[in-house]
Amino acid sequence: MFSTILEQIVNGIVTGSVYAIVAVGMTMIFGVLRAINFAHGEYYMLGTFGAWFSIDYLGLSYEASIVVGVLSTIVIAYVVGKLVMQRMVGAPAESGVLATLGIALVLQNTVILVFGGGYKFFADGYIEPVSILGFSLAQQRILILVVCLLVFVGLELMVTYSRMGKSMRAVSQNVDCCEVVGIDVPQVVLRTFILGAALAALSGVLTAPVNVSVYGGMGELITFKTLPIIIMGGLGNVRGTFFAAMILGVAESLVATYVGLQFRDTVGFATLILMLMWRPHGLFSTQARF
Amino acid sequence: MSLTETAQQIRRRDLRIPLGAILLVIALTAPFIGSRYVTHSLIIALIFMLPAHGLNLLVGYTGLLSLAQAAFFGIGAYTAGLLAVTYGTPFYVNVVAAGLAAGAIALPLGIPALRLRSTSFVMCTLGFVIIGQAIAKNWISVTRGDMGLSSIPKPHFALGPLSFTVSGTMGFYYLALAIGALATLAVWAIVRSPAGRNMIAIRENETLAESVGIPTWRYKLIVFMISAVFAGVGGSIYAHYLTVVSPLTFQMYYSTTMLIIVLGGGAGTISGVVFGSLLFVGLTEALRITPELRMIAYGLCLLALVFWFRQGFAPLINRFWNAIGGAK
Repeated sequence: MFSTILEQIVNGIVTGSVYAIVAVGMTMIFGVLRAINFAHGEYYMLGTFGAWFSIDYLGLSYEASIVVGVLSTIVIAYVVGKLVMQRMVGAPAESGVLATLGIALVLQNTVILVFGGGYKFFADGYIEPVSILGFSLAQQRILILVVCLLVFVGLELMVTYSRMGKSMRAVSQNVDCCEVVGIDVPQVVLRTFILGAALAALSGVLTAPVNVSVYGGMGELITFKTLPIIIMGGLGNVRGTFFAAMILGVAESLVATYVGLQFRDTVGFATLILMLMWRPHGLFSTQARF
Repeated sequence: MSLTETAQQIRRRDLRIPLGAILLVIALTAPFIGSRYVTHSLIIALIFMLPAHGLNLLVGYTGLLSLAQAAFFGIGAYTAGLLAVTYGTPFYVNVVAAGLAAGAIALPLGIPALRLRSTSFVMCTLGFVIIGQAIAKNWISVTRGDMGLSSIPKPHFALGPLSFTVSGTMGFYYLALAIGALATLAVWAIVRSPAGRNMIAIRENETLAESVGIPTWRYKLIVFMISAVFAGVGGSIYAHYLTVVSPLTFQMYYSTTMLIIVLGGGAGTISGVVFGSLLFVGLTEALRITPELRMIAYGLCLLALVFWFRQGFAPLINRFWNAIGGAK
């Protein structure tokens, strides 16, 4: 009994790590643009498709497919960023919603049109189980955990110390002042956006061996789960996003086991609505940042 | 110079009444002119016009961007389907019940949701669609889950000794046309009333509207409910037309479609919504464009609307209307 709960919690933390890597990109994009990126899950999907394509069609190894998946997403994100995201600087919130919804439709359906709408099988990755402290856990899940921790330590350092991180924080505080002191706001927006999309893609490629199935509509669900996380974490808050993702991951895992698998995907939106009602500024801050 | 100009203006005739008459004749004879498939496309366009009218009151007149329309559309479809299949109630009862059910559910959903602003409101309304779909999928004892409801009867009317069933595409077209026309008139009446002007005031500046004594909170809640009623009625007709309802009625895709109709046609104009539903739903259906291509086109339209044509087709329609009216 106890070990089942513990196992579910560990599984939840792994799922949480996946969400965390996606959500942190979305929250940073919100920070610089003040807009929710409703297309964020699509970059997760693009990364997965890039990796699946390079394994199935090009016969590359899983390691190489990670690179291909992330790089191809970066290229697409660069184009989208140049054409769309940079225009959203200073635009009203509604424009951001509509524009990113539009991007989500275009990306998702282009992929379905090119590769077909059926489920694909992702047959690679480190799926051998290893035994740690009495649990057996797939290697891939450990890899996800490790990458998640590395990503967050890296981001924390970047946001605190690097020039890029400092300019990101500056843009998220006051766009007008940034322009006065000579920070290239569109450039910061583009870089943040590409970084976020690349992280989403990385998360997609890392999860693919665990989820096994790859399909065009997979990004939508991820976008929907990212929304409650970034609200819980406090919009624009990197560290908060990490803990919020873990909470959602564990909650989903427990609900799936003890309430019913079909209710797993509802947890996120129930959380989202409750959070928006009572703590729109997130779990970890005392007042709204934006 | 000015004299000749005036003379020219007089020579230009007001063609609005003849054009209106022609459009009316086309609307009334469309099933005889077009093929069965074209008629079907027009029916779908007319059905989607209803939730779009509701959304227009919300987005175009009150300034609230909502994605919840598909949730109310689904609630309407399920209400009508369940009533018809379980109790065998007639069509008009189902339509009214579906509208009322959607409106009634909109009240408890609207009270918390409308306290949120801009992006938060959008996310919350999106949540309603997802949760609606989850309920339709998992409340199997009532909704029959993924199997959905099937063999919903075609509309049947009984007036004393007279009774007839609307079964063919042609009959359904006239039914949808009548309901669509009624809905358009209803929106027109709402918008023209003092309440409509108060809604516009809320859209333009909510704080100012509040300060001149408009009960903005009550207005927003009531408009949210009215828009849900429109969506519910649309959903019930959709259920009766397709004769099946499945959890896929709760789809983001439908919300996006309704948004495209309103924004593409021109938010805050009634003619825009009518035109938008014919163009974005009717035409794409008639051309048998695959769903994927259609959604790519919708996505590109959204981008174009946001960055270049903020008012959609409305300015174009207005210019055309004024031009044939003889104005320069």
